[in-house]
Amino acid sequence: MIIAARQLSKFFDVKGVKNAKIRAVENVNIEIKEGEIVGLVGESGSGKSTLGRLLIRLIEPTSGEILYNIPDDELDEFDIALKNNDQNAVKKIVDKYSIMRLHGKELKTFRRNVGIVFQDPYSSLDPRLKIEDIIAEPIVETGFLKGPKVKARVLELLDEVQLPREFSYRFPHELSGGQRQRVALARGIATNPKLVILDEPTSALDVSIQAEILELLKELRKKYNMAMLLITHNISVVSYMADRVFVMYAGKIMEKGNKNDIIKNPEHPYTQALISAVPQIKRVRQRIILKGDPPNLINPPKGCRFHPRCPVALPICGWTADEVKPTLEYLISSKYFTEFSNTKVEVKDELELTVYNAKADKLREIINIEKENLRPLMSIKDIIDENGNVTLKLYKYETPELIKLENGREVECLLFSKFKE
Amino acid sequence: MKEKMSKKDMTDKNEIKPDRWRELRLSLQVFFSNKAAVAGLVIFLFYFFDALILQFFPQILPFKHPYSLTPNYADPIPLPPSWKHPFGTTYPGVDLLRAVIKSIRLDFWLSLEIVIPGAIIGLIIGIIATYFGGWIDEVLMRITDIVFSIPYLVLAIAIGYVLGRTLNSMMIALILVWWPLYARYARSVTLETKELTFIEAARASGTSNFKIMFKHILPNSLPPVFVQISLDLGTIMLTISALAFIGFLPAANLPELGYLTSLGYNYIQTAPWAMIIPGLFIVLFALAVNLMGDGFRDVIDPRRRSEL
Amino acid sequence: MSYKMETSNLSSNLAPIVKVENFHLHYYTRRGVYKALNGVNLEIRKGEVLGVAGESGCGKSTLGRSIMGLIPRNAAVVNGRILVDGKDYLKPLNDYYKKAKKFKPTKNADILKKVNEEMSSIRGQKISMVFQEPMTTLNPLLQVGYQIAEVLYYHNPGLLASRRLSRHRATKEDMKNIIKILKENGINEKLTDYLKSRNILGLEDQVISIWRRKDLHDLKKEQIIEKLCCEPINSFTKKYLEVIEKENKLPNFSRVPIIGRLVKRELFKEGYKKASEFLGLLGIPNADKMVYMYPHELSGGQRQRIVIAIAMINNPELVILDEPTSALDVTIQAQILELIKELKESTNSSYMFISHDLSVLAEVSDRIAIMYAGQVVEVGKKENIFDQPKHPYTQMLMEAIPTIEVHELKGIKGEVPDMRNPPKGCMFRDRCPYAMPICAEKRPDLIKVGEDHYVACFLYEGGKS
Repeated sequence: MIIAARQLSKFFDVKGVKNAKIRAVENVNIEIKEGEIVGLVGESGSGKSTLGRLLIRLIEPTSGEILYNIPDDELDEFDIALKNNDQNAVKKIVDKYSIMRLHGKELKTFRRNVGIVFQDPYSSLDPRLKIEDIIAEPIVETGFLKGPKVKARVLELLDEVQLPREFSYRFPHELSGGQRQRVALARGIATNPKLVILDEPTSALDVSIQAEILELLKELRKKYNMAMLLITHNISVVSYMADRVFVMYAGKIMEKGNKNDIIKNPEHPYTQALISAVPQIKRVRQRIILKGDPPNLINPPKGCRFHPRCPVALPICGWTADEVKPTLEYLISSKYFTEFSNTKVEVKDELELTVYNAKADKLREIINIEKENLRPLMSIKDIIDENGNVTLKLYKYETPELIKLENGREVECLLFSKFKE
Repeated sequence: MKEKMSKKDMTDKNEIKPDRWRELRLSLQVFFSNKAAVAGLVIFLFYFFDALILQFFPQILPFKHPYSLTPNYADPIPLPPSWKHPFGTTYPGVDLLRAVIKSIRLDFWLSLEIVIPGAIIGLIIGIIATYFGGWIDEVLMRITDIVFSIPYLVLAIAIGYVLGRTLNSMMIALILVWWPLYARYARSVTLETKELTFIEAARASGTSNFKIMFKHILPNSLPPVFVQISLDLGTIMLTISALAFIGFLPAANLPELGYLTSLGYNYIQTAPWAMIIPGLFIVLFALAVNLMGDGFRDVIDPRRRSEL
Repeated sequence: MSYKMETSNLSSNLAPIVKVENFHLHYYTRRGVYKALNGVNLEIRKGEVLGVAGESGCGKSTLGRSIMGLIPRNAAVVNGRILVDGKDYLKPLNDYYKKAKKFKPTKNADILKKVNEEMSSIRGQKISMVFQEPMTTLNPLLQVGYQIAEVLYYHNPGLLASRRLSRHRATKEDMKNIIKILKENGINEKLTDYLKSRNILGLEDQVISIWRRKDLHDLKKEQIIEKLCCEPINSFTKKYLEVIEKENKLPNFSRVPIIGRLVKRELFKEGYKKASEFLGLLGIPNADKMVYMYPHELSGGQRQRIVIAIAMINNPELVILDEPTSALDVTIQAQILELIKELKESTNSSYMFISHDLSVLAEVSDRIAIMYAGQVVEVGKKENIFDQPKHPYTQMLMEAIPTIEVHELKGIKGEVPDMRNPPKGCMFRDRCPYAMPICAEKRPDLIKVGEDHYVACFLYEGGKS
């Protein structure tokens, strides 16, 4: 593996609010092999860009390990050690491969071996520097080359990204968006890195130019056999470029696997919805429209983070009394208001509610009718009558973990853990 | 290889021709389309050349004592403007035209000597504070706030008391109260620049913090700070004059606009010109640099640049 | 000359609401004259969704803004016209350009001011616009309901007044009758007729919006409808509301300080009610709470719904949607596209949907116009454009779009021409694989190549020239 992350988390502080953290990335495992293109798909705020920056230590993780250039067998050893909580074995491998322990010269060497290309070609190039200085920056700063060789390398790189050599004397504002992105690409690959992070490299570009940049990326990969992490919200781009795909939602990996498997046969309900939501010229798949918005990551949903929007959520997917309450109130006050009078719902604790002035039979009947459409109601386990008041008990929720399926595919969904058992 | 080049030539046909002077020409065009700014520039240039000539080539001008006022105790009462004294005279028999020309030198250079070090200190502190953020930002900006809250008059008097009533102590006092303004300003500018991804790209390239601050952030923060400097020159001159007016000058007979105003102060009812004319030159400078600063602001404003 | 012939061919059975004829618009900038639109021919028909596609800088947004009259002072209307319901509002600008020896933005601004005054009567009422970035379109300091009510207050105060008055006028008897009619016939003309005969037409949309709600028990609906009647009103309020109802514009006394305040308060209160009803129709849960929220409390998708509500509340004939989903995530984009599809079914408005993403347009449009370098190069029914693209640019664009089903991607070599100095002849010539000598000489006009399918390319002029 060129790079592998284990239990990687990044929490950002919220300014002005004590103890509030944005859980941008939580407990993520990711690995990239030498020379492969990995697509990382997700909506905005899913933490995909944060993950990309974590992997090359542009930002420091809150916890977790990032291992660079680790042989597969040692990574397996590491996984086993983690599972068994074998501190010594963990430490041995961490000391050898972790990028968190790099300093000074070693860190510079690491920087030489990774590159990054950003989304916006307008703000990612310093307007006060000439193109040659922009491209030369990583070459000089990481000590990749020195003296006159730098200039030769810059010209070579301009050829590589199919820009005329005269451009080296120009300033960014004299270039068009597509040309700027080529410059950014030249900078990203300037030190012949083994891994390039591409953070939405074509989102700011027009389709006709996007296609050219994607082609160029493919060419470069073929020529230098560099691994690429393609971060994008556009599944079509991933579908065109990637070998493997990671799907992220609300700071967690939902599904990973080979591109063809994921695109043709998505297993996770979120992946299914995401792929069906992509506008298409000729619609093949039935569209799944997700309700609501992605969650607030300061206080993410319990259990599976996708459950509030999930069309097939199970009783144990993470429902809490706070989520069930508004649904019940809605039923009591509007849809079935004739059946109730002076009824109130109160949250007792995370998994228990009390409905005052109601009858258990009636409530059970209504819940049974409505539970297909109103998913939160599924989580009600027991309906207990207590002289006029009803106590509702919910199923205890479980937090899903990545479950290995065939063909290197992993899904983080309770639907699959249930089938396994 | 050759094939590739020919392909590139094809795509290159439509490129914008590199024209080094295009942007400069455009900047001049924008500036000169603002009439008020041009007027400001003209007035500023008058002050500038006045100061320049008196400082470096005083022999050009027919002054016996270019660096001091020449009183005429024989006729100390202010005289109204006449052919002999176009601006009239002030107490004690000083010709106002000559006095004003001599005074501008001191005010002008002193303003620059205060603004430029103040801006440099402020920029460095502002950039460091913003770039590192966290507690460094907190500490530096709180210090800035404390210094900012000191009234300049009190500080100037205190420093004058300690170091003696010299021009240097005035300068030190004003620099001390002026840099926080730039620190705050630099901070607000840097906050924007810092968020641009080329800073992140530089860090990904392994560039050191020091280099990022001074190779990437500083050049990108300079233009707006430069505008602020041009706006501030006027305010500083007003302040210097105010200090001189209340008697904060090392020696009598030192030509300075605020001091000139104070000379005419006692005759405000009988000889108003003695106070109004030097006062006018103070205000005119403040106005001119403000207009000029507005013109510079237009130049760096991308919207103004493109619109006609 | 020739274009006139062509545009007359363009007309079809569906009457156009907006007709753009040979429209040229240039921006005068310090960096030169930017020729944004160079002879656009296009029409928007009643009840259709017209998709406008093109790359950045092709003039698609400028076209949308020109139809609304929302152009900056340095924009010169060089030639051609835009007919909105048969009227060319931009004519004074064109006249000025033709008359003036040297184009002066300040002069242009004066004329633009007059044009704006004239157009303000149709903006927000006949045509309205939805912009890309919902955060900057909404005022962060005002409640969402206020911003919706504002549109009604200025463009349609009569509606607000009549809503309030009819709640006062209606009797218990009326409400019982209304419920009876609804139960027997559902929502149809009978209800309207009854309301008209009783002079309580303002109740119509209030009743309907309640009746259409799916989340309420029928009995609850009846209860709510019954409660609508007999609202007390003081005689002073009643008087001025009656004036506003009759005139359907803000009377002069609404400018008097204190009285104006009273009028405004009363109408805005009503506006909030209408706003929450309307948001409910757009499928926003808890709409009655949402109207009291501020934009920053809402998510991107909800904000975009609010913006759409502001554009749609006066039931305009044409809504111009300028990249309404480009700033949104795919799953939210799917929600908004679904909403637009629903709106298209439930209203009789026309839509001009501007987007750089052809696949988004494929989801919602009836017809699609492809723009390149300030011109419409191809326009036709959605199926024709996607199945048999004729213009080389359209063809190449199709090959450049990545889709989920992997196919070979082909970029379009070269760059969009510099619009300050556009080439003579066909703008696409430099990037076109089929370029012919004639392409360098003159610009092709739109010609018919199929049923309701027009292309501006010499490849298809074969027999003609």
